[in-house]
Amino acid sequence: MSNNTHLSDTDEIISETTSETAQLVANEEPSSSNYTELNKPDHEDSDENELQGSHGVRRRNIVQKIEPGSLNVLSAKYESLDYDTCENHLLLDEERKRGYPFIVWKDILRWFIILLIGIITALIAFFIDICIEEFSNIKYKALKKSVDKYVLQDKLYIPYLLWVLSNICIVFIGSMLVAYVEPVAAGSGIPQVKCYLNGVKVPRVVRIKTLIVKAVGVITAVVGGLAGGKEGPMIHSGSVVAAGISQGKSTTFNKDFKIFQYFREDHEKRDFVSAGAAAGVSAAFGAPIGGVLFSLEEGTSFWNQALTWRTFFGTVVSTFTLNCALSAYHGHPGELSYPGLLNLGKMEPFPFQFYELPVFMLFGVVGGLLGALWNFLNYKLAVFRIRYICAPWLRVVEACLVAAASATCGFLMMFLLDDCRPLGEDPTNVPLQLYCEDGEYNALAAIWFQTPEASVRSFLHDPMGSYKPWSILMFVVCYFLLSTWTFGLAVSSGLFIPNLLTGAAWGRLLAISIQYMLPSKTINPAKYALVGAAAQLGGVVRMTISLTVIIIETTGQISNALPIIITLVVAKWIGDFFNEGIYDIYIQLAGVPLLPWEPPPLAHNVYASEVMSHPVFTLRTVENVGHIVEILKLVSYNGFPVVDPPLADDSEVTTYKRLRGLILRSQLIVLLQNKIYNENANTTWSNFQVDMDMFRKEYPRFPSIDELEILDWEKSCMIDLRPFMNPSPYTLPHRASLPRLFRLFRALGLRHLPIVNDVNEVVGIVTRKDIARYRVWRHRGHMGMEELVLSSEI
Amino acid sequence: MTTVYFFLAVMFAHGNFADYRDGKELPVTSYKLKYNGEGYLFANPSICTKLLDEFADSASNFTKCSIKHARPIRLCEKCIDHYVKFRESYKNLLQTNLNGTSCETIFISHDRLEVVLNYHDNILAIWNKGNCNDCFNWTKDKPEISNKTYHFYQIFNETMQCIEDNINPKENSTKVCENCMQSYIQLNNYYESLSFDRIGLDIICMDVIDSMNATRSIWSKSLNCCKLRKSPEIIFLCCSGIIACLPVLYYIMVKYCGPIKDLPNILKQSRFKQRILRTVNGIN
Repeated sequence: MSNNTHLSDTDEIISETTSETAQLVANEEPSSSNYTELNKPDHEDSDENELQGSHGVRRRNIVQKIEPGSLNVLSAKYESLDYDTCENHLLLDEERKRGYPFIVWKDILRWFIILLIGIITALIAFFIDICIEEFSNIKYKALKKSVDKYVLQDKLYIPYLLWVLSNICIVFIGSMLVAYVEPVAAGSGIPQVKCYLNGVKVPRVVRIKTLIVKAVGVITAVVGGLAGGKEGPMIHSGSVVAAGISQGKSTTFNKDFKIFQYFREDHEKRDFVSAGAAAGVSAAFGAPIGGVLFSLEEGTSFWNQALTWRTFFGTVVSTFTLNCALSAYHGHPGELSYPGLLNLGKMEPFPFQFYELPVFMLFGVVGGLLGALWNFLNYKLAVFRIRYICAPWLRVVEACLVAAASATCGFLMMFLLDDCRPLGEDPTNVPLQLYCEDGEYNALAAIWFQTPEASVRSFLHDPMGSYKPWSILMFVVCYFLLSTWTFGLAVSSGLFIPNLLTGAAWGRLLAISIQYMLPSKTINPAKYALVGAAAQLGGVVRMTISLTVIIIETTGQISNALPIIITLVVAKWIGDFFNEGIYDIYIQLAGVPLLPWEPPPLAHNVYASEVMSHPVFTLRTVENVGHIVEILKLVSYNGFPVVDPPLADDSEVTTYKRLRGLILRSQLIVLLQNKIYNENANTTWSNFQVDMDMFRKEYPRFPSIDELEILDWEKSCMIDLRPFMNPSPYTLPHRASLPRLFRLFRALGLRHLPIVNDVNEVVGIVTRKDIARYRVWRHRGHMGMEELVLSSEI
Repeated sequence: MTTVYFFLAVMFAHGNFADYRDGKELPVTSYKLKYNGEGYLFANPSICTKLLDEFADSASNFTKCSIKHARPIRLCEKCIDHYVKFRESYKNLLQTNLNGTSCETIFISHDRLEVVLNYHDNILAIWNKGNCNDCFNWTKDKPEISNKTYHFYQIFNETMQCIEDNINPKENSTKVCENCMQSYIQLNNYYESLSFDRIGLDIICMDVIDSMNATRSIWSKSLNCCKLRKSPEIIFLCCSGIIACLPVLYYIMVKYCGPIKDLPNILKQSRFKQRILRTVNGIN
């Protein structure tokens, strides 16, 4: 029974002789004897000063301010999504009325919506693709013409300034949009989508405005010459499309199409969004299976067989719609699988021997180290940006400066490194002669004068001697720094392509050095470039399953799976030794209460009574309107246990009341908005026009309590919550352990979990943030659990 | 004798008989198989054999010619006659009909070696890879050197002549460069105008590409006439230096001049334990 085994690091020994949960028996004043040791009368806030948690949990030395860039804070601003179906009377009524044909109809519609999601996501991807391709082509052709003209006149600064200026102008547009119109569209969007699918409501993340800013933003970012890719934004776009279509209405345009009303709940929307994210991946990489697995690995916490199958359908539709549109654009209409659309280009199967496996592992180690370094640098930059670069105009200026620096970097490299290649041997889009002999082109200019995606293809597929090792090395250093500098700017661009490019470059460099060491062997540079690209990306994002499949699918070669898997696993392990994946770093910086896959280990001695929030604001089954309004205005909580009225109305004694159900803030607001209350509690309550659609109409943006006008006389009215509340919420006894809470919470996607004592009286409530604050860290060979603090200001 | 017939039947069944027909390492038994039909019960029609001979000759002629003109590439120009003959003979072979059976059925699609077809395809592949058809205008299977090829070679010859006339191994090449610049640039521009991508990979025939490459190589490497391109570009370096410094300045400015945001506060959490502690405090 004793918990005395936990000796603290400080001199204090906290003794808890009996289980603390023993005091939770109903209506008893907690006995204080066990806690007196902690009290130091000379200290004002002695309860704040405990350095050691009661269960060996390393608790932070409590300070009032949070260090900038701290990863150990949860933001109080994020709310959970409601995945739990509220089984109230209204739902039962609806089910009775509609019957089985409605279920069939709903299933058919689900498939139809997934089809639409696939097609529209692909069309958006097509639009982005074509815009990037065409605008880049125009830009680089014009620049080439200018270089060709002025290089002979000793006026190279003219094309250089032109390049800088065009970069700045284009990036300026996108950056203004992102900074002023929709800041949530910045970056790749994958962290946000990941949070959404995990069950956290990220404000504005799936709005149509975000989609537009994202699409325009990514075009400007890539055309503007930033070291960014279009893949992450496409995934985000897919999610927005899914969330938009499945709801059949747009709040931004105030347009309700009166369709799909029954999908207007978080539970259904989340399923569609996971399908949309998958469709986005598949449109971005042409990887349908990779899309499904991405959704599974990165996003969806809740997964079932039917959803997988529908998602797969959506991704395949998306890939083939994109292929169809692109092949029509490239002059092969009607060919559904026009070859040559594989993003990384079709790879030949490369043979590999047993003795090469250690080499792949070495690549994985390099990728993991570089990835960890990339994440570290980017984290430091992100912290700097959070601290000092807050004003939108400062963020726009920063983006423009990076655009200028990218152009400078490229131009200096072409100018200083004379890497000349004869024309016609390698495929080049815009061969630039610069200082090369006639009939030759500058290999570095060829890399810089095209979109990063095309450069990845060049590094993967060009023959062995295409680039000098020295110029590749310079390129790797430059691009590594540029890409980590770019990610996190106020532009919407992803990090897949820049990292693939960096990785492919150093992979090729290593291939060249291996060739140098073993002149007798013929080394296939494509093989090592691909493995290097996978290792670098794996080291940064730490994805395994989906990344392997995506790379296999974009190169069209299943036999390359083993080297890629080995490399990715090693890269992930090495990277995890130092820090988190880049998406997790951003999620932690934002303080999102994300629930991981597994509960913290060794946490069975953390009990619900410790995890829960304690004084619970409850409502009575028949409640006074004034009291409801008061509570809603007073606290920010979203769920209120509904309890029996207490026997004695004595506010001095802490009493617990018997749980009857759970009601959400949104439901209360709708009830108040529609004035469903009576002057007299005793009149029989007849609600003729009340049904589920009343609640769906307001979804997903319910008005806040301050927007409602409640007259004074109304405040004395009574409201019967019983028909609306969830009469059987999931509950756990106060002695339940943290892993048990966690599993129930995570598997069912709960938002509120009332904690009850032995006689079913509410003693506390557990929400997502209460659980998410126990976080496991494991770096540099150590592991532990820490308790995060909350803040409402990040 | 029956054994011999039996053996023959087996050989036919395997279709391998021709492998043993002649040559010095014949199995001991097989000289007994000498047989007037060359392994077939009925000899091939003589007309087909003749066509096959013609095809063989034309193929070997073309191969010989193409190998001889591999470097510098003049394959398209020099071997066009052989190519035309080769194509004709193959067409004849395919189209000649004799009592309802064409010669094609005799020579093609019988075994996995497919000698005739493979040699034909190889030669065609070489010809097409070099885009040789582009050098000629084809009117009714009669090739004629196309105008653009003709024009290109005119300028090409002029340029080479000029270089040859002006070159002097003892002096440096500035004189050549100056004198022949005009025609070289004319050649270069004309070449670039020939194709859409301005490199010439897509349509131009290999003879032209190779001549151009050779000229460019002579011009810029042997004669070193391209060094006009190198120049110090001071302004460019200054500009890039300034622009590279801007971000550093920017970061320093925002760090030291910008308003510093207040650090976020920690929210007090309401927990069971803390509440108890507070209550206890109140009592004490």
